Amino acid sequence: MSGARGLGWLARREVLRIYKTWTQTVLAPVVSSILFILVFGLSLGSRIREVAGFPYEVYIVPGLIAMAMVQAAYNNNSSSIFQARYDRFVHDVLSAPMRPWQMNLGFNVGGMVRALAIGLALLALAMPITGIGVAHPFALLLAVALGLVLFSAIGIVIGIFAETFDHSTFFVNIVVLPLAFLGGVFYSVGQLPSPWHELSLVNPVFYLVDSIRYGFLGASDVSPWLSLSVVAALAVPAYAWSQWLFTSGRRLKA
Amino acid sequence: MPAPTPPALEVRGLSKRYDDGTVALESFDLSVPDGSFLGLLGPNGAGKTTLISAVCNLIRITAGEVLVFGEPSHSMAARRWVGLAEQDVNLDRFLTVEETLLYHGGYFGMAKAEARKRAAEMIDAFDLRAKGRVRTPKLSGGMRRRLLLARALMHRPRLVILDEPTAGVDFELRVELWRYIRRLHEEGTTIVLTTHYLEEAEALCDEIALIHGGRLHARDTAEGLRERYEAHTLADVYVKALGSPAPEAPAPAAA
Ligand SMILES: Nc1ncnc2c1ncn2[C@@H]1O[C@H](COP(=O)(O)OP(=O)(O)OP(=O)(O)O)[C@@H](O)[C@H]1O
Ligand SMILES: [Mg+2]
Repeated sequence: MSGARGLGWLARREVLRIYKTWTQTVLAPVVSSILFILVFGLSLGSRIREVAGFPYEVYIVPGLIAMAMVQAAYNNNSSSIFQARYDRFVHDVLSAPMRPWQMNLGFNVGGMVRALAIGLALLALAMPITGIGVAHPFALLLAVALGLVLFSAIGIVIGIFAETFDHSTFFVNIVVLPLAFLGGVFYSVGQLPSPWHELSLVNPVFYLVDSIRYGFLGASDVSPWLSLSVVAALAVPAYAWSQWLFTSGRRLKA
Repeated sequence: MPAPTPPALEVRGLSKRYDDGTVALESFDLSVPDGSFLGLLGPNGAGKTTLISAVCNLIRITAGEVLVFGEPSHSMAARRWVGLAEQDVNLDRFLTVEETLLYHGGYFGMAKAEARKRAAEMIDAFDLRAKGRVRTPKLSGGMRRRLLLARALMHRPRLVILDEPTAGVDFELRVELWRYIRRLHEEGTTIVLTTHYLEEAEALCDEIALIHGGRLHARDTAEGLRERYEAHTLADVYVKALGSPAPEAPAPAAA
């Protein structure tokens, strides 16, 4: 019981923050991903051969949904915790009777909720537009959960280390977006010639996209067990890192 | 014989060295009895806010121990017993006045119905009714101060720490806040207050602690301090004890 209420209210606060600015936090990413599906999928789809046995507009949907979700999880948490530090409102939480794991979880929840809202909205739109379905719901849930833990936690970590707001956008522009474009959102890495194929295999975002694509389509470039394991192997230390920041007070407390 | 009640605040050998090497507190000892009203006075940079931040788990302490009603300051119980209004306004910009109080109550473990009731009480007590549904960035400076104080008191803390609660507040509101703080003290709440207004410290506090350079220089009633330093006013005590001119008194009843 101790601190459980506090955790509940902190999680609620993070969700309220998303809700109050939902046009930016949910609507905008849904619109931009749908545009990608329409522009790339439906316009190029007629000219591109099937990829891995799927029409192009179907093939790109899982990767686009995955990227929209993990970016939202990251952006949400890095900006929420950065703002909380900047306004020093975070002191109200740090001084409250909550345990460090509850503070960490509470701040992490926002990104996950926002990502799920975006993912569900995109799925609801993409199904009638492209006819995509879900082949392996359980694998999909697991892949989404691991991906969200990973990017939510990275968002918290970067938001805690950032000294200016630009630092947190820097990470997404310099690290996440390039890895996403090279991670097989728009193509199957199996089609790539050497050495691009091999290089793709050291890109962590590739495994995330591939595991989520497996959940949707039942097809993947590598074994879903491998991709899920890679994402899990990254998610666990990322979450442990954000937890450590709350436990030790590093950066959060002078 | 009943066990004596532990002091509201007990600080032992507290040191704080910030990451840049600044030593803000050195082997600081302080005991604040339950039910008392202590004023912390000292020049800018003396270490007052650092002391308060250590009590409220807002900094990593370098050495020493802080107990709140006998419990370590980082314990769940101690955290629940302390209410803090910080020197700088630190409100959540996404919340309205009402939500600010409600969510704070929630973080501090209050049940929802109780928090709602208490928030309404606080909104009335601090005359924020007209702004209940307004987001905090749209409040005036004085309203933010009042909300900050209301938030500190929201979860009914036994030890209330006010770091310059009347800085930048007009005369009328200051008098009003004094009245409220006095009443709180009369109801048995222990209060620790920092201020640069000596008359404020003299008017409100049972005891005054003079801090300078991260050390406690003297601690007594205003009367006792005047006697000890053979001074006529607290301002003279301040000069003699701390070797620096006293801060300017606030403009007298000009407003
Ligand atoms: N985050 C920080 N990093 C480094 N030094 C700090 C930090 N916060 C405070 N200090 C230093 O610690 C010393 C004590 O500061 P503190 O804020 O506790 O003083 P104060 O008594 O509250 O002063 P004031 O009356 O101006 O509020 C000062 O030298 C200050 O510069
Ligand atoms: Mg201060």
